[in-house]
Amino acid sequence: MADHFSGPRILIDPASDVADVYTFPSPDRPGRLVLALDVFPAAAPAARFSDALVYRFRVRPVARDGQGFSVGDQEYTLDVTFDAPGASAGSEPSAQTGTCTLPGGEQLRFPVDEATETGGVRIFAGPRLDPFFIDLKGVLATDAIEQLAFQPEGASNALQGANVLAIVIEIDPAAVFGPDAGPLLGVVGETVIAGGRPTRLERMGRPEIKNVILASKKFDQVNRDLEIRDLYNEEDAFAVRPDYEGAYRARFDANLAFFDRLAGDIVWPPGEDGTHPLTDLLFADFLVVDTSKPFSESSSFEIERAALAGREHTTCGGRAPNDDIVDTLYTLLVNGVDGERISDGVDQATRPATHTFPYLVAPNPTPPDAMTVLTSLLPPPAEEPAP
Amino acid sequence: MDRGDVRTTDGTLALANLTAQVDMLVGQALPAGSPDSAAHRILEQQATLVDLLTLRGHLLGCVADYERAFQVADRMVATAPHSAIALSARARTRATLHRFADAWSDLDAAHRAEPSVDGLDADRSAILQAVGCYEEAELLLQNAASQQSDFASLSAQAVLYAERGSIAEAVQAFAAAHDAHRGVSPFPLAQLDFRRGVMWMREGDLTAAHEAFDAARRRVPAYAPATGHLAEIELLRGNAAAAAGYLRPVAETSDDPEYAAHLVLALRGLGQHDRARVWRDRAKRRYDELVRLHPEAYADHAGDFWLGPGGDPGRALRLAQWTLVMRQTPRARAVVERARAAVGASSPDVR
Repeated sequence: MADHFSGPRILIDPASDVADVYTFPSPDRPGRLVLALDVFPAAAPAARFSDALVYRFRVRPVARDGQGFSVGDQEYTLDVTFDAPGASAGSEPSAQTGTCTLPGGEQLRFPVDEATETGGVRIFAGPRLDPFFIDLKGVLATDAIEQLAFQPEGASNALQGANVLAIVIEIDPAAVFGPDAGPLLGVVGETVIAGGRPTRLERMGRPEIKNVILASKKFDQVNRDLEIRDLYNEEDAFAVRPDYEGAYRARFDANLAFFDRLAGDIVWPPGEDGTHPLTDLLFADFLVVDTSKPFSESSSFEIERAALAGREHTTCGGRAPNDDIVDTLYTLLVNGVDGERISDGVDQATRPATHTFPYLVAPNPTPPDAMTVLTSLLPPPAEEPAP
Repeated sequence: MDRGDVRTTDGTLALANLTAQVDMLVGQALPAGSPDSAAHRILEQQATLVDLLTLRGHLLGCVADYERAFQVADRMVATAPHSAIALSARARTRATLHRFADAWSDLDAAHRAEPSVDGLDADRSAILQAVGCYEEAELLLQNAASQQSDFASLSAQAVLYAERGSIAEAVQAFAAAHDAHRGVSPFPLAQLDFRRGVMWMREGDLTAAHEAFDAARRRVPAYAPATGHLAEIELLRGNAAAAAGYLRPVAETSDDPEYAAHLVLALRGLGQHDRARVWRDRAKRRYDELVRLHPEAYADHAGDFWLGPGGDPGRALRLAQWTLVMRQTPRARAVVERARAAVGASSPDVR
C-alpha cells in the first residue's frame, strides 16, 4: 500500500502515519497546484489529527540532470497544524480547527471537515475515502513466490471502503512560491513533531518506495535483518544523512534486481559495482511535478521515465489520485521505461477522485475494519475433500 | 497544548484515536492453515491489537480490555500454534493477568518456533521482575537492549531499578528514558511518569510521587491508575474530600474494584457511611468475581481490600499467603505481614 503502515514504529501512532502524497496541477483551476497528504490509514470515523504534529509539505525547485534531477537550495514549506478538539473558543467539543502556515509565514485558520478559501488558497482537511487502490494480495504473492503473481480475474482492492484523514491545499505557485519557482518542483509530505526538537516521524515522496521496494529483507545480503523503513522515514528526502546511505542503497540495489528478474529478461543490467540503474533516481525520493503543463490523470513517473530515456517529458508528471501507480511502477521495474504494461487487475479506487476541490471524495460512514481488509488477502480456504 | 519539555498529542484526543485504532483492528480471526505472507501480516496486526487493548486496559483501568486482549491472543495461538508472534502475544496477555508460568511456557514455545524472534528476552525479563527475580531480569534486559528502542530499553531498566529499590540508578534511567522518547504519543511518557510515581510512593516520598502522577495525568487526563494513586496520596495526607474528587469518576467508569475500594475509605473519612457501604458492596462483588476469574492477578489486591475497607483480615491473610506462594515480591510479603498483624490483633490465637 502506497505508504500505509510503512514501518513498525508508526503502527502505534497512526495520526503520524503518512499514507499518501499527491501533487498535480488543478483540473479545477488551471495554473494552480494541488498538494494532498493522507494520514491515518484505515481511519475509523472517530479518528482525529494530532495536535502535537506538523503535517508538512516541502517543495523545492528541481531540474533535469542526466537520468535524474538536481535539487535547488531554496525550499518552500507549507505547515498544517491542528488544535485539540474543542480547544478553539466557541467550537463544538469534537470539532478541530487547523492552521496552514504558508512559506512567507502567513497563517490561515480553517475548520476541519470544511472546504475553505482564503486569499486564493483553498484548504480542506478531514476524513475522506482512501483514494489509493492496489491488489495487495498479488503484491505479497509476488514477493513470496518470486514470480509475478497478479491475477486480473478476481483481483480486489485491499483498501476498498477504507478511509484516511486528508489534507488538500490548492495554491497559485507563482503567488505562494514566487515567480521564479518552477516549473519543475520536487514535493515531499512529512509528519514532524511540533515545537521543541522538530523530529521527522514520517516522510513520503514517491509511492510504494518503502512498502514494495524496500520492505523485503530477503534479497539484501548486506543488511538482511534490518527493518530499514523506520530509519528511512526519518531521513530528509532532499539530503539523506551519509550514516545510513550505504544501507539504503544496498537495499535498493538488491530489491530492484529482484523486480527485474520477475519477467525473465534483464532490462536493468547493474553497473560494475552492482548498482541498479534505478537506484539513484528512486533514492532521490520526491514527487516531480511540472507546473507549466496541464492536469493529467495518468502522468505519474512520466518525467522520471523521460529522464531515464533521455527525452523531453510531455506531461505534468506529479501524481494524481486516480493514477494507477501500482501498474506504472511494476511496469517500470520489471519491463523497463517503455515496456509492456503490467496490470495488477485493480484499476480504480472505491470511488474515483473528482475534478473539483477537494478532489478526494466523502468518507465511508461504515468503513471495514483493518482485519477484514487483511483477511481478504488470504487465499480461499481449501475445499473439503469429498468423502 | 505544550506539556512540559516534550510535546505530545492531547491525551483525550490520543485516547479517542487509540479507540478508533482498536475499533479498526477488531474483526475476523485468522482462518486456520494460512501460512503465507498475508497470514504473517494479519498475525502482526492482531498482535498490535493485543498490545493496544492491553494499553487501553491499563490507561482506563479496564479489566475487560485485558480479557479481550487475552481472547484475541488465545485465538491467534489456536489458529497459528507454531507462530512466535501469536505465542509471544499470548504470553504478554497471560503476564498481564499474572499467569506467569503459563506466559513463560508460551515464550519457550515461541523460542522453539522461531529462535531468532525479537522481544522474547524483554518479555521474559518483565516476568522475572514481576516475580521478584531481579538479577535474572537484569541479565535478560541487557540481552534485550539490542532488539529494543532506546526508550523501551531504558524505561524497562528504570522500572527494574525502581522495583528492586536502586533509587539513584532508577532516577537516572527514568530521566534517560524520558530524553530518549521519540514520537508524539502521550502514552509512553505518561506510563513512565506513572512508574516513577509508583517508585516514589513505595519510597514514601509523597511529594515526588504526587508530582509524577500529576505529570502522567497532564499527558493523559483519563489515566485511571495515576488518578487512583493521587487519591491514595490525598487519603494518606488526610484529605478525604480531594481523594473522593479524584475517585468518583474513575470508580464509576472502571471495572477494576480498586477505585471503589479507595472511594469507600474516602467516603468514610467524609462521614458518608451509607454511600461508603454501597461502594464497599460493589467492590466486594467485583473482587469476588475477579478472584474467581483471575486469581493470580487479583488475589493480592483483594487481600488488600479485605484487610482495609472489606473488613475481613482472615480472608485477607488467606489471599495474601496464596499470592506469596505465586510470587515472592516485597509487596506480597508486606501484605502477608500486615494481614498477620491484623488477624493477630483481632484474634490472638491465629498465627
